[in-house]
Amino acid sequence: MANEHDDRDDERAPHPEAEPALDPAESLRLIRDQQERARSATEPDTRLLCLAWGVAWLVGYLVLWTSALRTASDPDAVRFTAGAGWVVGAQPEPWAFWVFSGLIASAVVLTIVHSVSRTAGTRGVSARTGAMYGWAWMLGFVTYGFILGGLARAGASAEVMALASNALACLVVGLLYLGGAAAFGDRGLFLLGLWILLVAAVATYAGLPLTYLVMALLGGGGFLVMAGVEHLLGARRRRHALVDVPGAAGPRAVGSEVTDD
Amino acid sequence: MTDADLDAIIHAPARLRVVATLAALGEGDELSFPKLRKLLDMTAGNLSTHLRKLEDAGYVRVVKTHEGRTPATYLALTPRGRAAFEDYTAALTTLLRGAGA
Repeated sequence: MANEHDDRDDERAPHPEAEPALDPAESLRLIRDQQERARSATEPDTRLLCLAWGVAWLVGYLVLWTSALRTASDPDAVRFTAGAGWVVGAQPEPWAFWVFSGLIASAVVLTIVHSVSRTAGTRGVSARTGAMYGWAWMLGFVTYGFILGGLARAGASAEVMALASNALACLVVGLLYLGGAAAFGDRGLFLLGLWILLVAAVATYAGLPLTYLVMALLGGGGFLVMAGVEHLLGARRRRHALVDVPGAAGPRAVGSEVTDD
Repeated sequence: MTDADLDAIIHAPARLRVVATLAALGEGDELSFPKLRKLLDMTAGNLSTHLRKLEDAGYVRVVKTHEGRTPATYLALTPRGRAAFEDYTAALTTLLRGAGA
């Protein structure tokens, strides 16, 4: 069976029954390690993805923010204190948008490559759900592009375009996180989606160029906090929750020498 | 309870690892033969032998299909296999508690 895939070594394989049986503690440890390995080989690592997006947003939006400050006719007039000196609607320079786009594109590529390679070799309900989720992102952002094009054709100002392009992107991201949370039963993802929607609302109301600072600190920061929380929860789960046995107290007694990565 | 009460089909460490790996997937999910083999560090022949035993016991479902023109094999736990794995881990936990008391 199934050996059309690979080397035919039935004859050389040791006899399966030759292995010594394990004691219960060893068996439970074996199960836990093997299941941890299986999960990390078939599911995308949320920590890695949140870290990548956190860095892309934090750095990218900070670049937009600082560039917008430079373009203000009198940089000294832009301060955190509200008042008459506040330069409203300052736009970043083209190079800043290129840096920003490069960072976002890198995060997109990393997300796709990582998710596809992790889920390769799996089939069934989860794979179908994941594929539909992936297509939802694609369709959302293709539509986003057309909407922005339509707004520009209708004569939207540079400031409106800047605000709308940011706000609509966040709306797509936030809603898809909420949808993903519902599809995968992931509470953390739901919180992240909720946070992104809040940040989008606040950033748009803040107005340019403050929008970019809000996006960098609250948006990028939100992803980084999420990456940290996922890391801590993952480490704790590996230490404590082991085998899915209802009411099992055993695993904790099995030895807690699991190492964090 | 003693060791003798444990499910003999799952009790062999190699098959225990196979079943534990497949049990880590969601219900309704399947894993390709090459990916399963990589996750277990087993030779194809060795893994095939164990899978045949598990299939004979009704614990594992083997799906043969084609991806383009390449034949592909996917593996999944049957509901019976999943139940046997849960019983097995529950039995281990009971044994462990008994030993510790």
